[in-house]
Amino acid sequence: MKLSTKSRYALEGLLYLSVHGSNQPLSVKDIAAGTGVTVAYMEQIFFSLKKSGLVSTTRGARGGYELSQPAEEISVGMIIRAIDGNIVPVKCVDNLSLCTSRVRSNCVSRQVWIQVSNAIADVADSLTLEELKNKYLAENGGAEHENIN
Amino acid sequence: MKISTKGRYGLRALIDLAISNDKGYVSLADISDRQDLSLNYLESIFANLKHAGLVIGMAGAQGGYVLSKPAKNITLFDILTVLEGDMSVYDNVGDETKIRSFLNRNVWDAVDENVNQILTQTTLEDVIDEIEIQNLSAGCSEL
Repeated sequence: MKLSTKSRYALEGLLYLSVHGSNQPLSVKDIAAGTGVTVAYMEQIFFSLKKSGLVSTTRGARGGYELSQPAEEISVGMIIRAIDGNIVPVKCVDNLSLCTSRVRSNCVSRQVWIQVSNAIADVADSLTLEELKNKYLAENGGAEHENIN
Repeated sequence: MKISTKGRYGLRALIDLAISNDKGYVSLADISDRQDLSLNYLESIFANLKHAGLVIGMAGAQGGYVLSKPAKNITLFDILTVLEGDMSVYDNVGDETKIRSFLNRNVWDAVDENVNQILTQTTLEDVIDEIEIQNLSAGCSEL
């Protein structure tokens, strides 16, 4: 039951942006270098994040990406949904009509998938970028002292 | 994030088997019919479940499968680790950068732990009890 690599890298990029981008926008190049993800992949990811409204861009020589809302209002769950479209392990959890089985209305296993889905979302929706940023800074002694490895 | 077809179909079939478990060996043809699942696919899934020791198979006209132990002694974790393998939401691939290892510890491991708690605490019997309660209340509302 794996999350997409893309959504995991998106969280890495956004955490990097909240740690290092509080004073000025960051370029995709900076974010890629800071996370060890390729520039091309990070570009794709930030394009998706922009489309779903989690980040915005500013133009100009010092332009780049910034969070479009306060870090305490962005949860891990929002980031996964922005990239993967949903956060459920089986699609019937969101919408039973997506199941094509003739026995779907008496499905014996759907309740299990709903419980698993809730277990995932409970954690993901309660963790915010702000909390992660503060914890990360506490572990690493501030943004200035950082190198990626 | 996706549970594989094998995981989804396998769990459904195993719950069906558990519901009929007191009636002796259940044929895969019956499960196939009740659960709208392909017989071929069920045969391959049940070969797996048998190999893992979750079900016992018997050949012959009256043959089929039964659970290898009481439903209250089989957890969802036992079942899904056979069908899905590792239930973690992430693979440990790629370089272990500082930011990645931080997120593994503080986010993804926490998600895994919460999921595992549900899976290890819920038995096949709990699942069946829940279904019976639902059927009962559905029956009552029709009266």
